[in-house]
Amino acid sequence: MLANVRRWLPIALVAVTALWLRTHDLDVRPMHADEANQAVKVGALLERGHYEFDPADHHGPTLYYAALPIAWLRGERNLEALSETTVRLVPALSGTVSVLLLYFFAAASGRRAAITAAAFLAIAPASVYYSRYFIQESSLLAFFLATIVCTQRWWRSGNWRWALVAGVGAGLMQATKASAPLFIFAALIALWVVRTNSFQATRPKRDFAVFLGAFFLSAALFYSSFGTHLGGLSDALRTYAPASGRVTEGSGHEKPWFYFLSLFGWQRSGGLLWQQLLFAGFALGGALVALRHSRPFLRGALIYTTVVGIALSVTPYKTPWHVIHLIPGIALLAAGALAAIPFRRVAIVLAAFVIFSQWRQTNLAVFLRPADARNPYAYVHSSPDVRKVRGLAESALANSPRGAIRVISEEYWPLPWYFRGLDRVGYWSLPPDDCDAAMILASAANTDAVRSRLRGRYRESFLGLRPGFICTVFIEESP
Amino acid sequence: MILKKLSLLLAVSVLTAGAQAQAPVPLQLELPKPLFAGTPRPISLPNLEAPRAGKRPDLMVPAGTTNLSKGKAVTSSDSLPVIGELSYITDGDKSGTDGTYVELGPTPQWVQIDLGAKAKVAAIAIWHFHSQARVYHDVVVQVSDDKDFKTGVTTIYNNDDDNSSKLGKGKDQAYIENFEGRLLDAKGAAGRYVRLYSNGNTSDELNHYCEVEVHGALVK
Repeated sequence: MLANVRRWLPIALVAVTALWLRTHDLDVRPMHADEANQAVKVGALLERGHYEFDPADHHGPTLYYAALPIAWLRGERNLEALSETTVRLVPALSGTVSVLLLYFFAAASGRRAAITAAAFLAIAPASVYYSRYFIQESSLLAFFLATIVCTQRWWRSGNWRWALVAGVGAGLMQATKASAPLFIFAALIALWVVRTNSFQATRPKRDFAVFLGAFFLSAALFYSSFGTHLGGLSDALRTYAPASGRVTEGSGHEKPWFYFLSLFGWQRSGGLLWQQLLFAGFALGGALVALRHSRPFLRGALIYTTVVGIALSVTPYKTPWHVIHLIPGIALLAAGALAAIPFRRVAIVLAAFVIFSQWRQTNLAVFLRPADARNPYAYVHSSPDVRKVRGLAESALANSPRGAIRVISEEYWPLPWYFRGLDRVGYWSLPPDDCDAAMILASAANTDAVRSRLRGRYRESFLGLRPGFICTVFIEESP
Repeated sequence: MILKKLSLLLAVSVLTAGAQAQAPVPLQLELPKPLFAGTPRPISLPNLEAPRAGKRPDLMVPAGTTNLSKGKAVTSSDSLPVIGELSYITDGDKSGTDGTYVELGPTPQWVQIDLGAKAKVAAIAIWHFHSQARVYHDVVVQVSDDKDFKTGVTTIYNNDDDNSSKLGKGKDQAYIENFEGRLLDAKGAAGRYVRLYSNGNTSDELNHYCEVEVHGALVK
């Protein structure tokens, strides 16, 4: 009994901490345009019970389907009732599961190092930040870690059932995001380079067929909307054309090759300091340990992280949430460096320093400045101002007989999320002939044209959609 | 008799129908749905306001007007700013770069300049933050001889149009920050203290000041 407690208590504490960090005050940050966009899709799925994969501008379906049971459990049956907390619980739970999976993956080569790696992943600023962000990355990482844990078990046991579950995991990866093959490819390279003689499978061809069957079936189930939209299957392949265009051309998200590296370095922005030097330093130490000593597991983590890091760095299109795919490998390397220190107490103290340093950054990024333009993870983020828009709209609708809201702006997300449940809202990218309404939100570029077309009397104020993008709010004055 | 009643009924029906036809009904607009789009691109616009033709109109002040606030003591509702020092507000550096502005916390905050003696204030110039296009909310500027601003308060400027700061509803227009700052005509308001309020901005919930200049003449 006591042995069991001593065995499981540390990882249980790490998991509880990870869960708290990922679920505490989930609505503290306003919705990013991408989150809002996807949450509105969940709302449509909740209301109509039907979803069709959009290959042009959206990722895979798992995120939307995963939000359904949480919404049902919380009694939210339509878009209007849907909350930010509900949708963000999907990445939050995925992020927590990732911490546990990293532990199970690493435990085979040392339990203490596995707990340290899990703790580093649990507290890493980007991991926490994007585990509270309703996009696909956190789920993609969880499915990837599940796939490699199962593959590892299959490799060592030869049990075909592990191959089956690994196939399901890989299928869910594919059904989450089209970039899934990159991570599988990188893992295969690492596996091939550091393969050990612990391979136990007696019928690898059969097991591989089981893996492939599970992969295709699970991916097809989601892309076909569980058999209700077979066109989604061909769209799952078609999505690579627009996606590759975006990735290679950058489409406005181009950044220098060292962008992801810089997130682990030292940068000062508008008086705020962002750094992960201790974490990165120990990871470099772990890389040296992996190269100098015969540590296949660490070497595999190094190869995987390097391959993914290079692939992400040479791609012009860079958004900061991709960095979470580097953190498990970096956490394993940093933990490996600490495990190589012969004095255990020294290693524990150093690990505590790393965790403390990372916590300060996580607290700043996640809780103190979650939507601040200086926060390197708050990418093109909505301003806290957008939260005022609902109250303004309700007040304007109550006071005006015209009873409509017009949004006249070249960009307007996340406003449709904040206007959810209001049925008299319309969106224009250019001013229509008739601009009058109870409330009009016009982008700066459209403001003069809108103002010249208004016939009623309006009060003007400003509202920030995001840093640098200001809308003029026209509210009709009572007659 | 029956014919008369039928005529009356017909007339009432026509009038009722006519009245119904003229009764106001809600305007039914066909409203477009939002389009789903990809991640918004980062933008960097130095200033969203259309550039004004020519220079800013001169503000006429009495001869002998000087900058009374340079180097004067500043206090604030946020006495321990996370970034910068309150002294930056009157240090003469209005460049707006990192290290030249003070950042006060979220929620309504104020800063207060002690001119050292009672003065007749001719103009106040404010630079909140001008390295990005943004608008500060609920900006209220007041002058008083009472350091607690309970008595003898003159409001120079107020754009708090919904009275969310509980200082009275303001009629002044909000404005987009730029390098010129905002120049306010204080019209000779008298007092020793100048207090400036704000309540976050269109980019974040924080309050910033690069510089405040109070121009006027001490009362002898």
